[in-house]
Amino acid sequence: MRPGTRPGTHPAMRAIALLLALAAPARAAERVVSLNLCTDQMLVLLAPEKVAGLTPLARDPALSYVAAQAAGLPVVRPSAEAVLGRRPDLVLATSFAAQTTLALLEQSGLTVLRVGLPADFPVIRAQTRHLAAALGVAERGEALIARMDATLALAAPRLPPVRAVLWGARGYAAGPGTLGDAVLRAAGLEDAGAGGRLDLEALVAHPPDLLVVPTAPRFPSLATALLDHPATSGITRVAIPPALLICGGPFTARAVRLLAEPPGR
Amino acid sequence: MNGGVTTPGRLSAALGLLCAVLAGLSLLVGSAGAGLPGGAAGGLILWQIRLPRTALALLVGGGLGLSGAVLQGGLRNPLADPGLLGISGCAVLGAVLAFYWGAAQRFAPALPLAGLAGAGLGGALLLGFAGRAPSGPSLILAGVALSALAAALLALALTLAPNPFALAEITVWLMGSLEDRSLLHLALAAPPVLLGCAVLLGLGRGLDALSLGEATAASLGVPAARTLRLAALGTALAVGAGAAVAGGIGFVGLVVPHLLRPLLGQRPGALLAASLPAGAALLLAADLLVRLAPLALPLNQEPRLGVLTALLGAPFLVAIARRAAP
Repeated sequence: MRPGTRPGTHPAMRAIALLLALAAPARAAERVVSLNLCTDQMLVLLAPEKVAGLTPLARDPALSYVAAQAAGLPVVRPSAEAVLGRRPDLVLATSFAAQTTLALLEQSGLTVLRVGLPADFPVIRAQTRHLAAALGVAERGEALIARMDATLALAAPRLPPVRAVLWGARGYAAGPGTLGDAVLRAAGLEDAGAGGRLDLEALVAHPPDLLVVPTAPRFPSLATALLDHPATSGITRVAIPPALLICGGPFTARAVRLLAEPPGR
Repeated sequence: MNGGVTTPGRLSAALGLLCAVLAGLSLLVGSAGAGLPGGAAGGLILWQIRLPRTALALLVGGGLGLSGAVLQGGLRNPLADPGLLGISGCAVLGAVLAFYWGAAQRFAPALPLAGLAGAGLGGALLLGFAGRAPSGPSLILAGVALSALAAALLALALTLAPNPFALAEITVWLMGSLEDRSLLHLALAAPPVLLGCAVLLGLGRGLDALSLGEATAASLGVPAARTLRLAALGTALAVGAGAAVAGGIGFVGLVVPHLLRPLLGQRPGALLAASLPAGAALLLAADLLVRLAPLALPLNQEPRLGVLTALLGAPFLVAIARRAAP
């Protein structure tokens, strides 16, 4: 690292950098690195021209809603050295990121914006606005929210009630407080899952009206092979692309739409 | 040298009865609770979840027990065991390559076939080595080396696998598990395991002759090389396909012959018939305990099957070592 690239090691300089960051609209970031799949997708949706680095996961169509666009954008390994090399003026990360990496980046004078992982639609709206403001593209944020709300408005409660379980890798089920629960309820379904691991025998013993599973991945794992166990073949199922459910974002509304009008109905 | 307290036929029948009792119990235990599963889905749980698991435990355990008895007799080493010698590890490696890169998804029998290929390769390497350096300790050293190599390559394969969950599944493959297997797994594993057991059960005379020395065996018309080749083939069939669906379950093959010798004597051929039901009963009992654990203790998932066989098998290994010490 060259000495000149670390102006923020002095506490006063760091305070000034922080104040500048808080006054985001006045000086929106121009070169942005994202260190998490979820912030990757928000960054590509809001300001693809400002991408200085995404995680390699952003290009995986099984995980990322923006995989096609990300294929043409730079990726960077989420290590402090690699990120500094891109000379970003803003780093996006989640609160769960490797704290050692983020601390190194902040010591080097970079502004790091930590965001949470939204688990329902009001938080998705708030986070989209927050990131759009930090990137200086408030109007794009509002447009994404408007499109999401239009999609959500198409769903209506089902009568009679449909009991659904969202069953993911290793048999983990959505339950209260999870993004999956918010998606099921927004689609007008009743979430019959309790969260935590839902065992195969327990699922078969009390089958829901609708089993929601992630679309089978191109390459298998034991974790996802469980979801295709023949004992579950009698339960009506809908497969949702996992990219829509891994991170909460405006695109998560598409999962709601797929559930509100499942194929073959 | 002989001096068994019972006959192989009687003991096998008793062990077969034990297997039947355990199988009955096994159909009554699962995460939906103890007892016959009731309700509309009761039949589904019984036949599609508990039956394949029970049958696989019997098959895989039987294959491991029998191949342990054959390997200990054929290699004239009381520590020979498909797990310890790395044959199970090689089988698991083959299965992992076929599973995570999608071959088994396109063609289901690729899974047991890859397990067979791995076990066959491992067995051939080992017997090739045994042929040149037949002394006991060096064979075990070669087996430990093969086993470590297979585990390292397994970890590497899972690190490089395209599915992000792969690496987290290393414990399933290293320790073994029969959780949530289906009738398809049973159909894939059963033919090779049964064929392998048939090959191994026919080796009694060859193993007895081999225990008198290679020259004597040749003079009796059962050359050592032929017996060892068939032992390797039979072990690959009996262990390879089992490890491909259940992972590398250790200690069953090691323990079973030692449990039987006090009852049947030292003649290797006498152990074969009983080691099949003994291995089956041992693994099914271990799998029952694994399933009972979350019902009795505050666990949100069951322990791996190989964890239990190792917890039971390791003290046993120490006991063997102490008895062998002067």
